[in-house]
Amino acid sequence: MNQKLLEAKNIYKSFGKIQALNNVDFYLYKGKIHGLLGENGAGKSSLMNILSGIYQPEKGSIIYKGEKQKKLNPESAGKLGIGMVHQEFRLIENFSIKDNLTLSKANIYVNDFEEAFKKYSEIFSLAANHDTLISELSVGEKQKIEIMKLIFNNNKIMLLDEPTAVLTPHETNQLKISLDTLSKEDEKTIVFITHKLKEIKEFTETIFVMKNGEMVAKDLETKSVKDNDLVTLMMGEITKSVVKKDNKKGEIKLTVENISLKSQDDGFNNLDDINLNIKAGEILGIAGVSGNGQVELANIISGIHPNFEGKVTIKGQDVSEKGVKARKKLNLSYIPENRLGVGLAPGVSILDNSVVKEYFSASYGPHLSTNKMVNYLNLLIKEFSIKTDEPKAEISTLSGGNMQKLLMGRELISNPEVIIAAQPTRGLDVSAVEALHELIINQRNNGSAIMLISEDLDELFKLSDRLLVLYEGKIIKEFNINEANTNNVGLAMAGVIE
Amino acid sequence: MNNYILSKKTVVNDLATFYSFLIGLIIAICIGSVILLIQDQNPISVFSLMLKLSVGSINSLSSSLNKAIPLILAGLGISIMNSVKLWNIGAEGQIFLGAIAVNLIYINIEIYNSSLFILILLISGFVGGSICILLPAITKVVFGVNEIITTLLTNYIIIGLTIYLVNGPWKDPKSLNFPAAAYVGEEVYLPTIFGRLSSGFLICILFTIGAYYLKEKSVFGYEMRIAGGSAMTAIYAGINARQKAFFAMLIGGGFAGLAGAIELLSQTHRVSIGISQGFGYTAIIVAAITGMRPIGIFLVGCLFGALTIGGAVIQTIGVSSYIAEIIQATTLIGALVSQFFFTYQIKEVKDG
Repeated sequence: MNQKLLEAKNIYKSFGKIQALNNVDFYLYKGKIHGLLGENGAGKSSLMNILSGIYQPEKGSIIYKGEKQKKLNPESAGKLGIGMVHQEFRLIENFSIKDNLTLSKANIYVNDFEEAFKKYSEIFSLAANHDTLISELSVGEKQKIEIMKLIFNNNKIMLLDEPTAVLTPHETNQLKISLDTLSKEDEKTIVFITHKLKEIKEFTETIFVMKNGEMVAKDLETKSVKDNDLVTLMMGEITKSVVKKDNKKGEIKLTVENISLKSQDDGFNNLDDINLNIKAGEILGIAGVSGNGQVELANIISGIHPNFEGKVTIKGQDVSEKGVKARKKLNLSYIPENRLGVGLAPGVSILDNSVVKEYFSASYGPHLSTNKMVNYLNLLIKEFSIKTDEPKAEISTLSGGNMQKLLMGRELISNPEVIIAAQPTRGLDVSAVEALHELIINQRNNGSAIMLISEDLDELFKLSDRLLVLYEGKIIKEFNINEANTNNVGLAMAGVIE
Repeated sequence: MNNYILSKKTVVNDLATFYSFLIGLIIAICIGSVILLIQDQNPISVFSLMLKLSVGSINSLSSSLNKAIPLILAGLGISIMNSVKLWNIGAEGQIFLGAIAVNLIYINIEIYNSSLFILILLISGFVGGSICILLPAITKVVFGVNEIITTLLTNYIIIGLTIYLVNGPWKDPKSLNFPAAAYVGEEVYLPTIFGRLSSGFLICILFTIGAYYLKEKSVFGYEMRIAGGSAMTAIYAGINARQKAFFAMLIGGGFAGLAGAIELLSQTHRVSIGISQGFGYTAIIVAAITGMRPIGIFLVGCLFGALTIGGAVIQTIGVSSYIAEIIQATTLIGALVSQFFFTYQIKEVKDG
């Protein structure tokens, strides 16, 4: 077997209370393309940041060509030839391509820039002239420049953090060809990070899998590993549902017909002909890796996003043309994915935030009754056991769990008939998750029609009656909960349909 | 190993703001004393003279409060705009346009009932201030142009307009070449309450209560707070964030415009470049020191009015009036710095 070029041993790293990396081992072979697979938050980016010297591990060692490295910082990592392309580009927008490529003092192509640029432009099939400003390039072209920057800085180990996340399928294919060439002809060692199964199989030679900050599989040969095994490794075994699902389902409360959204340059993902309906007493789970249109779908149903094609019907009424308030009047509640920033306003007091949904009921004409607001907050505190001692304190002084309880309590106390809940338990500890799940189940038993958007398969399997998988803005598969398992749902989430 | 971090306190209460203001004032007086000592003046005698001549008699006290009126009104306008997290640097221009609007209406309309006339003129002042901020408000709401820049730049335009008017079309031939418009008639003078105190001060009290109510106790104030906290939360709640910002700006500008109207009708009685002596800028200091609290703006406005009068009178004993401005500015710096210590606390965190 090949010699290990770079090795990370027993790496530990935590951020506050969160253990991002827990005793992680990782190693790279010269000239190979390595895949690093894992869900969002599994620790992939943290590990890469440690290898490129941006983060310092709390424990563990990094070994380069058999030599243990003392403290690694970005400069010393650069000297070892380790370079990283981050998910957010680090290019200077109003500099030319050439200036960006030759910016670093590590740049090796000083006199022969033209030649080198020509050679790599061909490898990357880049059409732009090197005088072009970065701001004039497309996202895909910027990505190419980022990778070329590593080459020009003489980085032999290239860490690419989700490089395909921003690319079109065509650009993804191009990238695959370029990376193959680089690893074969230039003997570049490449780490390719993704959570897409299809890509990891196509791009890489060997696969590492991370889950919850641990390296759960090392050095699996890509050719021989099965999709199903990778999904199980990435998602883990699902604990069996203990929630009874035999409650009575009623009439249809929410119908969505032919919803489409054209993706523009405003940062929204597209949606393609979405059709679904939810009955009273039913929880419809929406599975999918985030960024596949979930936020847009939820915003369209709740009335936040007004420009779309298709029809939304709540309790038999067509609300496609109606605003947020009109939909709230039909007793719709929306628990947005972005807790602080959308659901709750940062910099504003707990008291003010507690009445965002119902502040009108605390008003007499233009007058807003502070007493009524305080009573309402106290009711929420009591009903949902929220821990806070100072209602006038800023909202961000609450813990994440209490913030979410306040948000969900506020949205659920009116006993809504239709609920859109997006990532309701993300980032919360186990006890808070349990409490919030109980709230959702109670609502279901009270006859609410609930749409549960989540990336957490445990949660979806536990709570939902049916499951839709959203991939690149399309519903690519629908499951009855009894026939859903980690494998078939995981595969669908990765865009693979059997 | 233990680390110490600065962490933000959960609540910054009114008392903490008051303490930080006091500390700022003490720092300012100390610095002022040093400057006086350098000039071979006895700080104690200078300050006691300032005190005596600014609040020591009915006349001096009422002069001080008169000076406070534009500071308070413009400060309240700034505070209302700050509810949506917008800064009004244009109060100075709004004061001028308020006064110009009053004069424009005065020359073109004649109403024989003088209280009704005064009321109409005051409203014109308010509307003038709103018109002054209209362009910044539209560009902010429609295109997202930074209001700090646009309101600041509007000041130069309005002051330019004032200079043009008082040197050109409105120039009073009887003013002996002094660039000023003609005096308004005595029938529209704001009556005095006692001493020299203008009844504008009552309007000021009324508007302070109004601003407090609007900000803290009304639905509109609530919607402004949410819109100021997060535009996305506002959209989510069905609140039109842009509309709130727009109206907050118009109201804020109107408050300053009203200050200009009162200044014209009770103090200068004619439009000239002396309508405002930097009131719009000092009002920013007043509003910032109090953490945008209307009641605080009222109190600090009164104090700053007294400081301005005190600063003016000590010139008679050969001390520069700038000492008052130095005290105002250092109070702000001192208060903002000490606010930091009331807002944050040092916490010990254990490693790992």
